Amino acid sequence: MSAAIAIGPADPRYPPRLLDLAHPPDPLWVRGEIAVPLERAVSIVGTRRATGYGLRVARELAAAAAAAGIVVVSGLAQGIDSAAHEGALERGRTVAVLGQGIAAYLARTNARRRRLAAEIVRAGALIAEYPPDAPAKDWTFARRNATIAALAEVVIVVEAPSDSGALITAAEARRLRRPLYAVPGPIGVAACAGSNALIASGEARALTGAEMLLASLGLASDGAVRRTDGDTGRILDALAASPLDPDALAKRLGLAAPALAQTLARLVISGEVRPCPDGRFARR
Amino acid sequence: MRDRAPIATDVIGESRSPTPEVKVRAVARVWACALWGLETALVTVEVDVANGLPAFVVVGLPDAAVQEARERVRAAIRNSGYEFPLRRVTVNLAPAERRKEGTGFDLAIALGILRASGQLAVDVEALCLGELALDGALRPVRGTMPRVRHALARGIAAALLASANAGEAAACGADAYGFGSLREAVDHVAGSARVAPTVAPAPAPPERPAVDLADIAGQETPKRALEIAAAGAHSLLLVGPPGTGKTMLARALPSLLPPLDHDEALAASAVHSVAGLVDPRHPLLRSRPFRAPHHTASPLALVGGGSPPRPGEVSLAHCGVLFLDELAEFSPSVLDTLREPLEERSITISRAGGAATYPARFLLVAAMNPCPCGHLGDPAVECRCLPDAVERYRGRLSGPLLDRIDLRVNVPRVPYERLRDEGRESSATVRGRVLAARERMAARLVGTARRTNAELTVADIRRWCRVDDDGETLLGAAIRERRLSARGYHRLLRVARTVADLAGSDQIRADDVAVALLMRA
Repeated sequence: MSAAIAIGPADPRYPPRLLDLAHPPDPLWVRGEIAVPLERAVSIVGTRRATGYGLRVARELAAAAAAAGIVVVSGLAQGIDSAAHEGALERGRTVAVLGQGIAAYLARTNARRRRLAAEIVRAGALIAEYPPDAPAKDWTFARRNATIAALAEVVIVVEAPSDSGALITAAEARRLRRPLYAVPGPIGVAACAGSNALIASGEARALTGAEMLLASLGLASDGAVRRTDGDTGRILDALAASPLDPDALAKRLGLAAPALAQTLARLVISGEVRPCPDGRFARR
Repeated sequence: MRDRAPIATDVIGESRSPTPEVKVRAVARVWACALWGLETALVTVEVDVANGLPAFVVVGLPDAAVQEARERVRAAIRNSGYEFPLRRVTVNLAPAERRKEGTGFDLAIALGILRASGQLAVDVEALCLGELALDGALRPVRGTMPRVRHALARGIAAALLASANAGEAAACGADAYGFGSLREAVDHVAGSARVAPTVAPAPAPPERPAVDLADIAGQETPKRALEIAAAGAHSLLLVGPPGTGKTMLARALPSLLPPLDHDEALAASAVHSVAGLVDPRHPLLRSRPFRAPHHTASPLALVGGGSPPRPGEVSLAHCGVLFLDELAEFSPSVLDTLREPLEERSITISRAGGAATYPARFLLVAAMNPCPCGHLGDPAVECRCLPDAVERYRGRLSGPLLDRIDLRVNVPRVPYERLRDEGRESSATVRGRVLAARERMAARLVGTARRTNAELTVADIRRWCRVDDDGETLLGAAIRERRLSARGYHRLLRVARTVADLAGSDQIRADDVAVALLMRA
């Protein structure tokens, strides 16, 4: 990986949207494709303690945006952030905004996110407003969350409990008058309390899917919703809300588990359904 | 076995009938048996009592416990009312080139000394096993069963042992005579007070399995996985929140397995005998062992070892089930030691004095929580684990171990209303299907040492695992899209073979492949 470079607000390579902030980062440290943060972007943020549903939605939204040429911005934390980066990398480009120095982050994080970071550098950029070796502090993440809001045209909160850092990003999006969307979640699930509250208070609009996200950016969705019929479609529908064990899946479909095996196996092979390490099955 | 083959040997000399006059012989010979792991060798205890300065020497590579036999034997002889010869006593354990371990030689040495010093007038024509107490009492020893069987195979039908070991010897088919003390043993051999041979204890009544499948509500897929595991001897991992019945499912597994046949019972009982775990009333195991070591177990406890080496849990589970609950809590170094027994179906413990090999053909069932708090995917309790913590938790299981686990299923929490479901299958019904499937396997593997699909070699797979067209398409797609490794492919086919066997089909169909794919760990 190449070393990070520092750019000031006067630099033509400086992302112009960051100038909307009261105190734009100066300098901004960038590692990767320096031009990517200048392009059209959407921020997708959320909790680290995400549900299986939230992870899938983050991944799908990010993939749809990236496929339409929109850069996906997030914070490279566990949970929703990582799912958004991974989804974006499947189809396009993504930018991770770190709450500490880039070198400090890479030195401290686990192998899985270090790999993810390397892929992001290849297909986008890691950016930070702190010098490479600056350690993480509580307040550095709060500022980073605001930067994430500023860097995008549209901000989406996928899942956030009521004390989530993603709500800082939401508040900053309101201040900067960026369109703010939240993905509605089930009542009573702690991971969705904060994001649901954003919808309830009218601060955020409820996001109903990738088409709505693309429409908010003035883009048409790439195609009609894929409708799959028969058992395949019913399995995918049943798994839409959360991962299920085979017995629960069979019961929901009113089938015996053996009758399900072949269809489910085909979905696993095609990658539309993913076996979880605990033996349940999840939609990808 | 019962007919007394002539003892093929140079050992016992001229007259075998008790002679009234005490005849001092230069060298006395008595049979004992050495044990390394489950390997046995007949040992001739030669005792020479010669003129010279009083001394008592044991040669023939005795270990510390055998060396100490001198003190026990000296005291036991004196305290039994005999005289310890005040001459030069030399004991040789032949063959002399291998190290002898343990306390089982005491009785043979004592009888040899009494014979050589003329206090016993007749030769001892039996295998002698037992440890002596200082007061002359006879104590039981570990490993009676393999030693007696070895002696029987070599034509020595009679065995003199401690009373507590006599049942074990009788169960092996030997003429077993149990004694409480050295004195009783001498009186028996001399003919002054004969003891009746111990009657082989009646086999234990077949144990009622701890759990019947019919006791478990719901859990169709885990039950199906148990059935497949039982039929093909495939290893199984159960993943689910605490309290969902993982342990109960594992404990139901023995009720699905075929009964122990005689050879298996002898093999499994021999390991228990070496470990000193035989129930003297019912020395032969009747039901398959079910071993559930705690997750704090050391490598030594799990695979065996120590000095003298003792069999570990993997060997005590020979022919039965090894259940590892809370698999992720076992230390990684302990789990790593499982690789050899899983691969070789035996474990060799190498030490300075030689290697001991124990059999370890067990069916592995493991259970674990899905995450550190245990509630990932649990509808009843919200999981509070961060994704990284979940990943670290699962990371404790090494790839090579997971690679050797054939089946993995989720054990979900069963909703309350389904706890009262009706029409559950009993273990007996499922066992019927398992037995039929095992018969199909046995017919295929006739003439080989392999019995189950889990043991199929690559050549066997090529020969016996024919897949129909639909199944072939499915398999091809799995290899292409899911990047199945060669090892994974073979494992998949072994499981699919079992699924087809349970369905009574010679050909593996697409459905069988699908089931195997979905339960792949």
